[in-house]
Amino acid sequence: MAVRLDLGDIQGLFARGYREHRYAQFTVFSIGEAPAGRGLLEWLLPHIATAAPFSGDVALQVAFTASGLRQLGLPDHVVTGFAAEFRQGMTNPNRSRFLGDTEESDPRGWAWGGPDGPSADGLLMLYATGPALLERWQAELRRQLGKAGVTGTTELPARELGDTEPFGFHDGISQPIIAGLPKAARAMRTVPAGEFILGYPNARGQLTGRPLMPASEDPRRLLLPDPTGSGAVDFGRNGTYLVFRQLEQDVEGFWQFMDAATRRPDGSQDSSDRAALAAKMVGRWPSGAPLVKAPDHDAPALADDNDFAYRDDARGLACPIGAHIRRANPRDSLAPGPAASLDASDRHRLLRRARSYGPAGGTGLYFICLAGDLARQFEFVQHTWLNSATFNGLYDDADPLTGSRHPVGATFTVPARPVRRRYRGLPQFVRTRGGAYFFLPGVSAVRYLAQLDT
Amino acid sequence: MPHQLGVTIRAQVAAEQVAPLRDWLAKVASHGTADSLFAFAHMRGLHFAKLFVLEEPADSGGQPIPASLVLMTEVDAPLRSHLAELIDVAGDGIDQAFGYCTDYPGAGAHRRVRVAWLRRHLVRASAVYVNTVGRGLQQIRQEARLRDALEDYLDQGDWDGCTADDVRRELQAYVAGRADLAWAMKPPAPPSLRFRVREAAHEVGVPLLLAPLLPALPFVLLPWAVLLRVSELRERPVTQRPALEHLDELASYEDFVTQNPFAVVGFLRPGLLRLVTMRAVMLATDYGVRHVYNHADLAGIKTIHFARWVPLDGWRRMTFASNYDGAVEAYNDDFIDEVWWGLNATFGNAAAYPPTRWVFWGGASYEQQFKNTLRIQQVPVPVWYTAYPALSAVNIENNARIRAGLRGEMSPADTEQWLSLL
Repeated sequence: MAVRLDLGDIQGLFARGYREHRYAQFTVFSIGEAPAGRGLLEWLLPHIATAAPFSGDVALQVAFTASGLRQLGLPDHVVTGFAAEFRQGMTNPNRSRFLGDTEESDPRGWAWGGPDGPSADGLLMLYATGPALLERWQAELRRQLGKAGVTGTTELPARELGDTEPFGFHDGISQPIIAGLPKAARAMRTVPAGEFILGYPNARGQLTGRPLMPASEDPRRLLLPDPTGSGAVDFGRNGTYLVFRQLEQDVEGFWQFMDAATRRPDGSQDSSDRAALAAKMVGRWPSGAPLVKAPDHDAPALADDNDFAYRDDARGLACPIGAHIRRANPRDSLAPGPAASLDASDRHRLLRRARSYGPAGGTGLYFICLAGDLARQFEFVQHTWLNSATFNGLYDDADPLTGSRHPVGATFTVPARPVRRRYRGLPQFVRTRGGAYFFLPGVSAVRYLAQLDT
Repeated sequence: MPHQLGVTIRAQVAAEQVAPLRDWLAKVASHGTADSLFAFAHMRGLHFAKLFVLEEPADSGGQPIPASLVLMTEVDAPLRSHLAELIDVAGDGIDQAFGYCTDYPGAGAHRRVRVAWLRRHLVRASAVYVNTVGRGLQQIRQEARLRDALEDYLDQGDWDGCTADDVRRELQAYVAGRADLAWAMKPPAPPSLRFRVREAAHEVGVPLLLAPLLPALPFVLLPWAVLLRVSELRERPVTQRPALEHLDELASYEDFVTQNPFAVVGFLRPGLLRLVTMRAVMLATDYGVRHVYNHADLAGIKTIHFARWVPLDGWRRMTFASNYDGAVEAYNDDFIDEVWWGLNATFGNAAAYPPTRWVFWGGASYEQQFKNTLRIQQVPVPVWYTAYPALSAVNIENNARIRAGLRGEMSPADTEQWLSLL
């Protein structure tokens, strides 16, 4: 379907991960006095980088939680138009159980975003091409936040963007190719833009639910019209949901486990064995080479290879059924068959924009993704594919890398001939330290928010 | 092995007892684990149980429908001993629960009186889907133990240099040598002869009975299709969304173990046409689940352990209830992707369903309308019991195939395939 995307109104994170902007810092804040919060928006507006072609040295993005939108004065009947998951928030107790945020990942112990800390209302995302530039802009952000009377800020500095995530694996290789963006021209398979941005047809050819409001509530005509032609204005158009989770990685524990699990009976150790076991868990080698194409050893030439399927590895002899990438995106490997599985997989894609952090303040990943439908995309992948111990016929295997081990799921099975190898009692390598569901509005919606009480 | 039953017991609750009953249910709510009050775990052949309240509908569109308490169990036959055990084993809970109903004889009454009361309150299902007909609780548990034993045995061995045949022979010898597993070398016993004869007669008899009507079919189908299409054109899209409090209550009983309970209830669209359509579709569903989808697969969905369709209040309302693996979002996606046609044909006759086109199309394909309406119509199930909380339906089928592969001759390729089940 030919869709014209309003790139000048969509925030840039939709179109790019700012890979040239190797330095990033995120700031989560509470909005105290609403009018002052709006002053901040006035200042921000000219600085928000959009999805239109961009060559600046600094990019700024802004997003809000449901509480933040309410604080800014967005009426309840508009907020009600957002997805239930967004309105309830990431730390709703039933949701925590669903997402695996229990025990050591319990929101009550989070560094930010938890029920006992300051309310996470807004998120500023700053990307820069150099460290001094980042620091200068971060200082300006602090000043502006202070001026607006914003309190309860948490600064989340990212590590300089490198090729690997903290466990040592090349990351972020597989991304959906979005119809309507330049890369789509060369792609065999694309995902409709409506999967990642509201107001455009999604994978079912329908418009995902979004907050509409009577045109009379927008007398200055700042918002865009509802594309269905209902006469309402669409606060959600060109916006999308942004999932932000601070995932702390136990790098030492991860490699200690690999060492212990691959130590030979005589106590000797071969470092290639531990890398091979870790690769089985990930589904790619540290270079990024996929196991289905390089089953026996790393092949750096395949580092960015994303052109593969699982149909020739139905039993998981090359890439285990339970491997991280085979669960996060099962491609063609689910029942009832390859074609249906590819379609189903495309309805559960995430546009990932992660950055690593540490070692100061722990080591891990700011997992960031955009999704038009939180339930069908992020939550589905997290619960049904990553954390489910019975994923795709398994019994007790949650995701070996990121999965929760409570109450089940601490096994990792490596299919082999003649007999599989089973690793039991996997420790938890990743725990959630903070997070929230944000909404990344279109620029016109930010402009609307900025003038709400005037 | 026995066949399986979907038992429904429903009794009226007086208006002033609804709130106390709800409070009591919330107090004894099981959150995915067996609870001692009902002692469900001690009942023979009980796979699943759920207990929930159907509130008095605000707008019944006619004669008011009082609130009721519903007990649903999935259990191995026979019915008689199950009803007796509900009193003899689960009696404490049953007495307390149905004590909120208008005419329950009470804990003091003789057990025979209470069993007879349960029997009088049985509600007949139009169709009951059993993941694999004839696979009883004992078999499911035994085969899970067998799989565990084989996995442990494989963990302990050093299989380097062995062929798949070597490994299989060792496993066969291991099982045959363990007195507590020796049963696994024999196939599971089929359901009773009486049951099999009855099902075979039904399988053949229904088409035979319908065959003489075939010539008349075009004369009936055409006007029916036109009338139904006209009725469909009057349907309106679902604009309602579930309330957050309702979603929270539903979620508070979900996602504790591998499976989840599901129960929706809704009014049929008014009129004879819809009633006749619904009854015809239910007859077809009954035939389909008994003779076509009776082994590990409901029209492409492999995650449902049991499901049932139960007409209520003289076919004014319909309940669909199931026990399924995974989350409700995934369940709904499976519905939309795999059995949209069946859902539309059935639920298309329900008042709050997205508009259908020519019976089979539309409906579930409107993803968000469909998901919203199911969530709105869904009833919280505060008391729920599962006999095998860690096993998915795919696991159970896999366990049965592991057992089956212990017997007989196998090619090397088949042996390798079989070993990959472990």
